[in-house]
Amino acid sequence: MGHARPLATSRSATGIPTGRLAVWWILASEVVIFGGLLGVYIMHRLGHPEWAEAASHTQTWVGAINTFVLLTSSFTAVLAHQAAEKGDGKKAAKLLGMTILGALTFLVIKSLEWTNEISHGYTITANTFWSFYYTAAGLHALHVIAGAIIMGVVAFDAYRGRELHRVELIGIYWHFVDVVWIFLFPLLYIAK
Amino acid sequence: MSENNEHQGDGHDGGHHVNYFGIYITLIILFLISVAGPEVGDRFGLHWLTLVTAFGIALVKANLVINNFMHLRWEKKLMKWVLATSVILMLLMVAGISPDVLNHEGRNWQNLAAQAAVERGLGGDDHGEGEGATVAEGAAEAAPAGFSAASSFGTVCATCHGAGGQGDGPAGAALTPPPANFTDPAFWEGRDRDRVVTVIRDGAAAVGGSALMAPWGALYTEEQLEQVADYVMSFRPN
Repeated sequence: MGHARPLATSRSATGIPTGRLAVWWILASEVVIFGGLLGVYIMHRLGHPEWAEAASHTQTWVGAINTFVLLTSSFTAVLAHQAAEKGDGKKAAKLLGMTILGALTFLVIKSLEWTNEISHGYTITANTFWSFYYTAAGLHALHVIAGAIIMGVVAFDAYRGRELHRVELIGIYWHFVDVVWIFLFPLLYIAK
Repeated sequence: MSENNEHQGDGHDGGHHVNYFGIYITLIILFLISVAGPEVGDRFGLHWLTLVTAFGIALVKANLVINNFMHLRWEKKLMKWVLATSVILMLLMVAGISPDVLNHEGRNWQNLAAQAAVERGLGGDDHGEGEGATVAEGAAEAAPAGFSAASSFGTVCATCHGAGGQGDGPAGAALTPPPANFTDPAFWEGRDRDRVVTVIRDGAAAVGGSALMAPWGALYTEEQLEQVADYVMSFRPN
């Protein structure tokens, strides 16, 4: 009884492992959440030329550093997956640890950035541009926090050689968080 | 791009011989180009270049990550269709609401708040034409040159409250409760200037009134709020 795997994790009508199928389903719903938010932002931005003034206050180099951090963390996440496939749980856990470090770096930079902006009066209620700015980047940051926590759990198991397939699953999620930022960066920091 | 894919489409887990480091370096190079884009674009006056380097490169980068890091290209067709459906439905939604969001007026409607926000945002820095041309964005401390409470009332408030403040604006006829009549002495019982400022800024619901009186605080600086409130007070019969 104790070692019998539940049907839901052992059966697969689609030919896709159930866990991975679940992650893709989550991401399919995330596409609508982030896509809808960014789509509406783009429409408002096009309809409001005066937002250019507000947008000019975002700090490109801070966004750029965070882009670099996330791209690098995606790289370590995929290397963790590669190590897990080779059955090297310890290496996978270490690489996931580096990815978590990337997530924390991202969050620290974001906190400093926001503290600076809020202290200059650019708060979420300052105007609609800043509302979008904090909503979109904030929702993304929540995903970074969630990803870091889950990666910690997965790394804990992987280090002991358990549930190595989960390294791929959290990796797929993490790359998606990276992809969202790949679009947020030009929207909020480059195309002013 | 520097990857090879010997196991393409075999449906097995693992064994994707992707040159991850090569993909990573490609991503970093693309990222550097997207940051440099606006610098080059500004220098040569090529603003389209910024759009290409910003969003074109974002698409290429996303594609690289999705296919090589998330391994979507080795995934079953079913999953690609599920994701594609999600993207298509999302784009349909965005396209569906775009006429109402992108435009600020149509045949039978006007988005007064959006028009006023654009006018206010652009008004101060390059032109002073047009009635109600107002102030530069965020200039709370600056003297609100060109701001006129009367013309702002005409643009924003008169739609419901009427140009004469009698609560008889065209958009107000259908509202329940009807818009306040500022010329009615009974209306002013128990109401002072502070309350008028609060209601304009935060909406009537903030003081227990009707939510139909929306908050307009985003349109005005504190100083302008007081000017508009004074204008409203001017309707008060003595």
